[in-house]
Amino acid sequence: MLLELRGLQKRFGGVQALKKGDLRVEAGEVHLLMGENGAGKSTMMKIVAGLQQKDGGDFLWQGQPVDFRNPAEAQQVGIAMVHQESLLAPHLSVAENIFLGREELLPLGFVNRPKMMALARRLIDEHKFPLQPEWRVDRLSPAGKQMVEICRAIQHGSSLLIFDEPTSSLSESETHQVFRIVRTLRERKVGVIYITHRLEELREVGDQVTILRDGETIHSEALLTLTTDRMIQYMVGRPLSSIYRREPIPPGKPMLEIKDLSTGPLLKNLNLTVHAGEIVGLGGLVGAGRTELCRAIFGIDSVDTGEIRVEGKLVRIRSPREAVEAGIALIPEDRQKTGLARALPIAANVVMANMESVSNLGFVSAAAVKQTTDKAINRLRIRCENGAQLAGRLSGGNQQKVVISKWVTRGAKIYLFDEPTRGIDVGAKVEVFEVMDELARQGAAILMVSSELTELLQVADRIVVMRQGRFTGELPGRTTQEEIMHLATIESSEKVS
Amino acid sequence: MIQRLLPFLTLIVLFVALCFLSPYFFTETNLSSVVRQTAVINIMALGMTLVIISGGIDLSVGSILAMGGLFGTMAMQSGKPVIVGIAVGLLAGCLCGFVNGTLVTRLKINPFIVTLGTMGIIRGLTLLISNGLPVHQIPKEFSYLGEGRLLGVPFVLWLLVICALAVHIILEHTRLGRYAFAIGSNPDAAFYAGIPVNFHTVAVYSICGMLTGLAGMIEASRLMTGQPTAGQGYELQAIAAVVIGGGSLRGGEGTVLGTLVGAFIMGLLANGSDLLGISPYLQQAIIGAVIILAVTVDELRKRKIG
Repeated sequence: MLLELRGLQKRFGGVQALKKGDLRVEAGEVHLLMGENGAGKSTMMKIVAGLQQKDGGDFLWQGQPVDFRNPAEAQQVGIAMVHQESLLAPHLSVAENIFLGREELLPLGFVNRPKMMALARRLIDEHKFPLQPEWRVDRLSPAGKQMVEICRAIQHGSSLLIFDEPTSSLSESETHQVFRIVRTLRERKVGVIYITHRLEELREVGDQVTILRDGETIHSEALLTLTTDRMIQYMVGRPLSSIYRREPIPPGKPMLEIKDLSTGPLLKNLNLTVHAGEIVGLGGLVGAGRTELCRAIFGIDSVDTGEIRVEGKLVRIRSPREAVEAGIALIPEDRQKTGLARALPIAANVVMANMESVSNLGFVSAAAVKQTTDKAINRLRIRCENGAQLAGRLSGGNQQKVVISKWVTRGAKIYLFDEPTRGIDVGAKVEVFEVMDELARQGAAILMVSSELTELLQVADRIVVMRQGRFTGELPGRTTQEEIMHLATIESSEKVS
Repeated sequence: MIQRLLPFLTLIVLFVALCFLSPYFFTETNLSSVVRQTAVINIMALGMTLVIISGGIDLSVGSILAMGGLFGTMAMQSGKPVIVGIAVGLLAGCLCGFVNGTLVTRLKINPFIVTLGTMGIIRGLTLLISNGLPVHQIPKEFSYLGEGRLLGVPFVLWLLVICALAVHIILEHTRLGRYAFAIGSNPDAAFYAGIPVNFHTVAVYSICGMLTGLAGMIEASRLMTGQPTAGQGYELQAIAAVVIGGGSLRGGEGTVLGTLVGAFIMGLLANGSDLLGISPYLQQAIIGAVIILAVTVDELRKRKIG
């Protein structure tokens, strides 16, 4: 037994991220670790990789109890992690990043650059990566960065490699490249833990599956005998039939029309109409241009050619301010950074886009702010003590509701939701969906970007799939994950760098 | 490429222009005095380059300069040999840097705030210890450090070249230097790679402190006094030199050569204005404008590539 975890526990402040983490990994095994966002997969793996320390439970490495205080200790015994977000030094070269923290040294702390370059080149050639050791990392595509991370983990001669959703930003051919590497590692008797929440793509590489839900290990089984339906059931904790599903309403007049929109290097000739009362899902891989489309509609990026109509009227949107005036709202994907003023109270966030309605001659009326905030809290069922509570202290789901309330208060008619459930736990997701549904029922038009296919299937009336900046197909709401994946990935051959 | 060389070209153009504009510029006396004047800022700026590359900043170097100079001269006043006095100055600076680095890493507070605090603390302690009075009883030989000549050029120029080479080698060829880049470039990546981030951050601040201590001794030697009020405002000049030379306050970028060029541009601007009779008040404004201009050009270059 390479790695064994028994009843692992980890708490962050008031949140018990991991309650009972169990996992057994053998050498030469590809072990899939599955679960929804917030299930505790990443926390468990961060403990294994020495990035965090357990609060309780047993952590055995090759039969011996261990507790790594930092990543260096984990690397010393042969555990390496390929991270989801690129954890590289952007100003340094590919070779320097591969050897970061484990430089080839000459006496007196001097680094042996020629040797590192040569070793890096050999490694890159061996795996046929489209990289050069001297390239600077900030010039690489997300896929290129991912490959640097993989090179780094392999170079360190690890006996256990943890992949944290490495393919979420890769095209299909690149994904297969990653799978090939995983297979090579398995042949070399390296243990591989592969975190994912994509159900299908791993049938071809996985051996064993362990599923986490709400911080607990729910189930572990060989991949061969585990059906997809049961996998989903274990992940969400209830049979498929009882999962939230929106009842569509008949669509009204066209609210948002996009005609022949092209912008930047990515977006090409996009045509789309979203009607009142409709939720349109936007599917595709990361980097397909979905976020870029939202940014273009919202006036963050300028539109090169094409037109945007709101309620039939041609509008020219050159800045977010003009988008807001036109009745468009954006709920951005990185809530913490661009959606929410975390250090401010809920009330300040709620009235942020709507100061005019609560102020008189430039003076803000505290009473009006309170009234507006209380109304928003009631309407969106934001769970908090009162409007004076800091927005950053709320749970992910309630934070998201605060972001939405900002636009509801403003009376927006068109909502762009970019990954609205990112970092939100399972229960709260449904509440966000319910808010979206309610907005649609009141006549709003909603465009929803999501990388989680199950989510699109649950909420969207129809799903438009994007690939490399183009729309590649449209599917009715009652479609299958396979069809979306097919449209999202086929013929993909994005270039690295 | 042209934009990358711009600080260089600016320096050359400035130099040539001054040769034509003033008959007193290209004389040995004047050039020596430019070298001596800029050496202090230059050596501080070398340490600052390290700190800024690692994503930090040190506002306390002006105060460290004064403390180093004071302690060094006090040691000489008490009868210690000159070389011991200099060592005391360097050590005092190094210790101040060590404290800065330790506070930044242990308290996990923004280095701007930490060093804003130690700027006051170190200055206050220096004034307290000296009672606000300068140290005058210094052996005559000590003046060689700041005013002496070796092989026909000012001794401080040799010192500057040695320090610059040392910092360049540290940055480009040693683990410490590469880690400074990695930490400034992406601190999380550095930590996740198993780099002892705290240790190397402390090391970087300590080296900066030691170089500042050396600058303090040079300053003391030129004035032949240990001035507890020395070095006020020098921190901004040192930071400006790094930034004009292409260093990024976001970390991960900067070069020794760039910093030297930056410091000499400021030195020549000051010297040229003096020779041409431009008001010292206007000088400050000119240097301020140059800082903004240099960083704007650099940003434009990066955006074009990015």
